[in-house]
Amino acid sequence: MNSVVEELDRSSKAAVKAAPYYGGKLEIVPKIPVRSLDDFAVWYTPGVAAVCKAITENRDLSFEYTWRWNTIAVVTNGTRVLGLGNIGPEAAMPVMEGKSLIFKFLGGVDAFPLCLNVKEPDKFVEVVKALEPGLGGVNLEDISSPECFYILDRLRKEMSIPVWHDDQLGTAAATLAGLFNALKLTGRKLDRSRIVLLGAGAANIATARLLEKAGADMSRMILVDTRGILHAEREDMDELMLKNPWKYELGLKTNREKRRGDVTEALREADVLIAASRPGPGVLKKEWIRSMAENPVVFLLANPVPEMWPWEAKEAGAAVVATGRSDFPNQVNNSLVFPAVFRGVLDVRARTITDTMVLQAAWALANYVSEEKLTPDHIIPTMQDWEVYVHVAAAVAEKASEEGVARNPMTYEEELVNARNVIERSRKILISLMDLKLIKPFPQVD
Amino acid sequence: MVEFRKASEKDLQSLVELNTRLKRLNEEFDPLLRVRTDIAEKSMEYFSEALRSPNSLVVVAEDAGKVVGFIKADIRERIFYEPRMEGNIVEFYLLPEYRRKGVGATLLDYTIKLLKEKAEIITAEFPTLNEIAVEFYTKLGFRGITSVYARESP
Repeated sequence: MNSVVEELDRSSKAAVKAAPYYGGKLEIVPKIPVRSLDDFAVWYTPGVAAVCKAITENRDLSFEYTWRWNTIAVVTNGTRVLGLGNIGPEAAMPVMEGKSLIFKFLGGVDAFPLCLNVKEPDKFVEVVKALEPGLGGVNLEDISSPECFYILDRLRKEMSIPVWHDDQLGTAAATLAGLFNALKLTGRKLDRSRIVLLGAGAANIATARLLEKAGADMSRMILVDTRGILHAEREDMDELMLKNPWKYELGLKTNREKRRGDVTEALREADVLIAASRPGPGVLKKEWIRSMAENPVVFLLANPVPEMWPWEAKEAGAAVVATGRSDFPNQVNNSLVFPAVFRGVLDVRARTITDTMVLQAAWALANYVSEEKLTPDHIIPTMQDWEVYVHVAAAVAEKASEEGVARNPMTYEEELVNARNVIERSRKILISLMDLKLIKPFPQVD
Repeated sequence: MVEFRKASEKDLQSLVELNTRLKRLNEEFDPLLRVRTDIAEKSMEYFSEALRSPNSLVVVAEDAGKVVGFIKADIRERIFYEPRMEGNIVEFYLLPEYRRKGVGATLLDYTIKLLKEKAEIITAEFPTLNEIAVEFYTKLGFRGITSVYARESP
C-alpha cells in the first residue's frame, strides 16, 4: 500500500533530521528549588550527609528520600533492535531514548536509557543486578531471543525491584487484553478455544506463557515457527532442548494431537490466530483464514506491515481483526501497558512483577472498554484516552498490594488519584517547556 | 502405559530413527561428535548385528505399540580387572515427551536386571559434555571410572 510506504518514509526523514537538531530526546532537569547557591548546602554538602545517614539506618528510605522511587533504567545490549537485528548498544540508543520518552509522557516514570556493551547473558545479568540500589525498576528492551528469556527469568528471581521485558510481557499483556474482548464478542471461552500462534519469538513465547497462566487449553494450542508446526516429535526438539528450552517446553505442552505441517495445517478449524512473525503483506493468505472456525479472531501484529492487510482477513471471514498499527482499528500496542504497569508498581514500591500482576494489567485494559463501547472494531482502548493508563496503574498497584509484594501498599482509589497526579504533572512540564520555547519547535521537514 | 521388552527385528526401523535422533543430540553437545551422512544405513547394520549377537542386548520402551525409547548394551570381559564380566550401556535414548517422568530410570532398571544375568559390573558410556546424562547416572549412584579425552588437531 503506497500510503504506508509514504508514511514510513516521512517519519524516517523527520527522525533523521530531528536527531541532530535536538541532540537526543532527553535531558536531566532538577525537581527541587535552587533559590541561591546557598541551597547547595542542603542539596549537597554538608546537609546531604544527614540524609545519607538516615538511609544507612534503613535502606528502604532510599525510596522516600531519593529519586529512586520513580526511576527505572531502560536497558539493552542492542542484540535485537526493532527489525534491524544485532546493531549494538550505540545504535540502539535512539530507541531507548524513545522508550524512555513514552515512559515519562504516558506513565510519568523517570526512565533513562542504558546501553550496555555486554552480550554474554550471565555477565549481562550481573551488570543489571548491580544497578538495583539506585533504581525502582528495570525495563529490558531489544535483547535477542532466546537469551532474553534466560535474562528475564533470572533477573525476576534475583532482584528485589520489578523487572520487565517489554518485547515479551508488554506484547503478551496487550495481546491478551484484545483477545479477552475478542473472545467475548465471538461468544468463546478461553479454555475451549483453539489458538494458533504464528511466530515463536519473544512476543509469542511470552504470549503463550501468559495464556497458560490465564487458563488457556495448552494441549489444543499450536505454535508455528519458520520450520512449521511445533510438536513433541519434531526433529529439532533435542536441539531446542539445549538452545531454546522455553520453546522446547511449549513443544511438549502444546499440540497434543501432534498435528504436523505448516501454518495452513495449523489454521484448520482454529478459533484464534495470533501472528507475530514477519512483516507482510502476503505472509498469510485469505484461504487459510477461511479454513479457520466460523467467526475467527485474527491478530496480525508484525510491524511495520502486518502479515496480511486487515481488510483481507475481514473479507476472508474474520469476525475480529487487530494489528499493531495506529491507522487501523484495534491497535495492539505495548505503549498501553508498560507506562501504566510501571506507574502502578513504582507507586507501591513493588519488589517484583508477578505473572498475576501482568494478567491483571491485561484484564484492566480489556475491561476498560465498556460493554456499550465493545464492538469488533473496538476491542482495546486507544492510546489517546489518558484515563486508561491511570486505571491500569491502579489495577496493578492493587494486585501488588494484595499479593504482599508492595513495600507501600495502596488501594485502587488511592493509586487512581496518585497516578493521575504524577502523569498530569509530567505532561504539564513538557508542555510548559514547549510553551516557554525552552524546547525548540519541531523543525521543518520537506 | 509405557512397557519394556527386549527388541526384535520388527523394531529395527524405530531403532534406526531413535538412534539417529540420539546421535544428533550428541552432536548438539559436542562438535567432535559430528554425525555421518550415512547414519541411517550404519544404524541399520549396527542394530541388526546387535539383535543377532549373544553378547549384545537391546531393550525398548513401548507406548501403545510405538517404540519411544531404547537402550543398547554389550556384555564383555574385562581382561585385566575383576569383576570380569561387564554390562556396558552404550546407547540410551528417550523421546522428549517421555523424559522427566521416571521412564528412563525404569528402562535402565529393566535393562540392568537383564544384564545382571551375565554381568557383575554395570557401566554406562555417554558424551562427557552431556550434563543431562551425568546428572541422571550420578543420581542413580554411578560414578566416573575411565575417561576418554580428545583433541581435534594432531
